[in-house]
Parts: sequence; C-alpha cells; structure tokens
Amino acid sequence: MKLLTRTSLSYIYISGVVFVISGLIFFNLLHDIFKRQIDETLIEEKLLIEQTINYSDSVPDFRLIFGHMIDVTILNAPQTKTGYISDTLMYDSDLGAFASFRHLFAENTSIRHKGYTINIYKPLQDSEKLITEIVISLVLVFMSLLALLVLVNYFISRRVWIPFYRILDNLNKYEINQTAPLELPGTDIYEFKRLNQTLEQMSKKIRIDFMNLKEFNENAAHELQTPLAIIKSKLELLVQKENLDEDQLKLISSVFEATTRMSKLNQGLLLISKIENNQFIHPEEINLTQLLDTTFEHFEEMIAHRGISITKNYHHSLILKMNHTLAEILITNLVSNAIRHNIFKGRIDVVVQSDSFTITNTGQILRTNPRALFERFRKSENSTDSVGLGLAIVQKIINLYQMKIDYIYDAGLHTLKISYK
Amino acid sequence: MKVLLIEDEKELSFSITEYLQKENYLCEAVFSFDSAVEKINLYHYDCIIVDINLPDGSGLNLIRELKENKSETGIIIISAKNSLDDKITGLEIGADDYLTKPFHLPELNARIKSIIRRRSFGGVNEILFNDLRVLPEQMEVSVSRQKLILTKKEYDLLVFFLSNKDRILTREAIAEHLWGDEMDMADSFDFIYTHIKNLRKKIMEKGGEDYIKTIYGMGYKFSGQ
Repeated sequence: MKLLTRTSLSYIYISGVVFVISGLIFFNLLHDIFKRQIDETLIEEKLLIEQTINYSDSVPDFRLIFGHMIDVTILNAPQTKTGYISDTLMYDSDLGAFASFRHLFAENTSIRHKGYTINIYKPLQDSEKLITEIVISLVLVFMSLLALLVLVNYFISRRVWIPFYRILDNLNKYEINQTAPLELPGTDIYEFKRLNQTLEQMSKKIRIDFMNLKEFNENAAHELQTPLAIIKSKLELLVQKENLDEDQLKLISSVFEATTRMSKLNQGLLLISKIENNQFIHPEEINLTQLLDTTFEHFEEMIAHRGISITKNYHHSLILKMNHTLAEILITNLVSNAIRHNIFKGRIDVVVQSDSFTITNTGQILRTNPRALFERFRKSENSTDSVGLGLAIVQKIINLYQMKIDYIYDAGLHTLKISYK
Repeated sequence: MKVLLIEDEKELSFSITEYLQKENYLCEAVFSFDSAVEKINLYHYDCIIVDINLPDGSGLNLIRELKENKSETGIIIISAKNSLDDKITGLEIGADDYLTKPFHLPELNARIKSIIRRRSFGGVNEILFNDLRVLPEQMEVSVSRQKLILTKKEYDLLVFFLSNKDRILTREAIAEHLWGDEMDMADSFDFIYTHIKNLRKKIMEKGGEDYIKTIYGMGYKFSGQ
C-alpha cells in the first residue's frame, strides 16, 4: 500500500468515526434543546390558560389562539395541584396517522376554588422535521469539508513525496559497479535532503569498498600469473632431466597437474574480473548457429567418447551482437557444461529461436539449489577436475549483454535457456 | 640460429633459455626494453620472443621498430594479457604468433620452429627424422617414401613431437596443443592415448620404428634411440 493511500484512508476512517460519534451527540443535544423549547412553550401556554381561568372561570377556545390541541376541563370540586410533561402517541386527523406529541397535563384549583385539568398536546412532527433538516445539511457540509480535506491532503502529500519517489527511482537504476558515483535529485525538503546525504555517503563508502575488493581480486589474479608461469616452466625443465625414477616422475606429475588446475582457476577469475571491468569491447555480429557448429566440432572427440547424440534445431539464424572472444567463451562453456554433466550415451538438444536459444542435456538430478548453479566454485560431486567457474563466467557474460539465463529441469533433462530481455 | 628473448621476469627467462639452448639455438636474453632496442639495432636474429609488458616500454613498440627496419626476423609475442586487443594489434603490426602466459615450453619451441621453417628461404620446407619426412606446407607425411594418411589431430601431434624430439612432453602440454585450454584434462588424456596409439600404429605399418615412448604417469617422448 502506498504511503499516500495509507494516510488518506486513515484520515477517512478516523474522520468517519469522529463524525458518527459527534453526529450522535449533536443529534441528541439538538433533540434536548428542541424538547426544552417545546416544554417551555407548553408551560407558558399553561400559565396563560391558568390566568384566563382565574379571571373568568370560563374556558376560551385556546385552539384558535395557539393552533394546537388544548383540552381544558373545569371541575366543580377543587383539585390538588399536580402536573407532568411526557411524550405520547396520538392519532392526528390532519395527517391521518399516529404521530408523536408532547403532552402537558396539569390539575389545579383556581382562585375561585374550582378545580380544572389542562391537557395540551403539541405535535413534535415539525420540530423533528427541523432537526432532520438541520442534521442533513450539517452532514452535507461536514462531508464536503471532509472530502475537500482529504483531497487537499492527497495532493499536497503527493507533491511533497515527489522527491522521495525520484530518489527511489535513482537508487533503483544505480548499479554499484558503474563508473559514476550515485547522484540523487536535489530537493528543498530537509528530511529528503538528509536522506539524500546519507544515501550518497553510504553508497560512496560501499562503492569504494567494492572497488577495492574488485581491484584486489584482479591484482591478485594478475600477480599470480607470473609465479605460476615460472613454476610451470621450471617443472617442465625438471621433467627433462635424465635419470629421474618413476616415483620422482609421479611426484612431478602431481605437482604439474595441481599447477595446471591453479592456473586455469586463475585464468577464470581473471576473466571474470575483466568482464566486470568492461574490458571486452568491440562488439561484433556473431552468427550463433555457426558458432555452435564450430564449438560442437571442437568437442567432437569428447562427444563421441561419451556416446552423446546431438540434435540441432535451428529455427532461425540468431545474430548475437557481442565481443567475439566472449561469445566464444559463452558458447564453449555452455557446450562443455552440457557434455561434462551428461550421462553416458546421453543426448544434447540445441534449439535456436529468433530471440533465444536453449541447450538441453540429459544428466543426473541436480542435488544443489539451481540458483546456486551460477555461483563461483559450484561444482557437482562427480566432476572434481573442473574448477567450478564455467557457469559463473556464463552468467557474467549474459549480464553484460542484457540477456537472461534460466535453468529448467524436466524429467531428467536439464535446460539452459538464454534469451534477450 | 639466433634467438633473442625479451622478458623482464628473470626466472621465466632462464627457463626459456635453458629449454631452447638444448635445441642448439644461440639464445640471448635481455630483461628490458632499452637493452632490447640496443640488441635489435646491433645484431640480426632469426627469431625474437617478446613480452608485451616490459617495465620500461611496450613490446609492441619493439615490433614496430623491427618492422620499420624491414627486418625479416620472426616475432613471437608472449604476454600475460589474455586480451584479444593486444593479440590483434600484435599480429596486425607484423608479429607471427602470440602465446599467452603461462605456456608450455614445448609449445613455444614448436612455434619458434614453425616460424623459422616458414622463413627459411632457399631450402625446402621440410622436417626430416630418420625415415620420417614431413612437408608442412602440404601437410604431408611419409615413412620411407610411403605416404601416411593421418587425421588432422594425428598430424598436429606428430609435428609437435618432431619439434620437441628427445624431450618428455607432458600430457598437459599435448592436450593444450591439440585442443586449447577449454578441454577437461581427464578426458583429453584418454584421447591423447588413442591418438598416440593410432599414430604409432600407422608409422609402424609402413615399416617405421616405434619412436613414441610412454613415460609412465607423465607423458610421452619422441626419440630415435
């Protein structure tokens, strides 16, 4: 949920609750006020009637004066003074239905010692109508005020948050290994200014650390090359010495193999850091199907040795625009991966579409998480002689050219799909 | 045969010179750009092996200087930089070959021989060994004048052996020579074995001797003795 939606909604919820409660209180208050008003009129009328009775002992037609139901009865016997005011339901002939009335009842004895009872019925309908009208108009005013407030709040907030979303966009686009440091859009709001400063400082530090690490990796791999070359050359000279016995040769052979592995590893790491540093430029148009054909040719002995059958489905000719060396490395790694992790007498299917290509090979079920496939130094247990950099390099090349790679496993078939984003 | 080695890494330089001296080359080694310039202006070499990254200059400039003097010297670049750019530039300005460090000494030796063969005017470009005769331009091999039919890999293997005769060739060096460095070592050792078996058989069928000796756990040696 967006912050703006959240604040607007909370605003509406809270205002709604406050509105309902205060509305009820207001309604009751209004009701009481009106009732009190009516009661006061009723008492005034009663007093007027009493005065008239005291003067004349007769009952004038009050109905004409007050316009509502008044019933006064003069009794001969004196009455004790009582009286009350209450709500009552009565049949209203004007309306033709029952309606609520305010009823005043009073009994008393006049100065001339005659008792009388007074019943005044005042219809509540008009005042109730008035209350309803007042409440409705108030509700309308309040609602429109609320709507206005919410809208104003929404637009102000939206304006206020614009820099925040710009900062987010910039952060999203930023990649730590790009050459320029992080730059965030300027803003005159203090909080966002602080956010900007903090983010910029943080990214600067991360960038420096990242660069240092990258540089270290690259230098380490680079500096290892010379000693490795020396070791290899000395071993080759050592092998040429006469009178070496079998045990000594075996020892040298082991050292030799380990050195070879190490230098392969080193070359792989160096390659990765070169790809990361964008040192492969000059993109060329690479005919993928041609490249696949030559690569399979290159591995033909290995393929024959393992009895692997190859099926090629070139539905389209796909032209990759990338550095020639990297294209070769990419395809070589994918093909050798498909051969290396294949089973004896397995198969490899290659499908080339207009915007993607897949390499499918038979093989044992993956025991590790497929996502870890593209990590460095990941290798399956049954191929100890690989250094585990092949797919990591593939991933780096894929990323460099804005392509994507997906791993799909289905019924003993491992598929790597490379497609343009 | 005079070879000049320009390599600033002394230990590597010593190894190369030691290996090449057994081939009866007169191998001179210098460790800097300046001394290399001095040498190439004073003397004539059949082949120059040059490292691109020298502390006091670029090996590429040395090649340019050689080419300006219309030198016929064969040039092999050795460089730690596995970069295509260097390779392309080097070959464009006139280098004959390019090797990436770390390389196998027999590989360097084979490349030198191939360059020298190509440049030897007058004489016939051929490799002779006892009753074996290889014509590299035609890629033809014969044993006692009988033509051998070899596959591309068998031919490459034979020439590699002949360039490094009487030396132990490790399986790694052979594998890298035949397939480059993307091959799985364990697998390629099997293929080497098969190729050598076939090559040996083909030579012996035509009455040749068994020149290829297996050095247990290490590699092979091509030798007439």
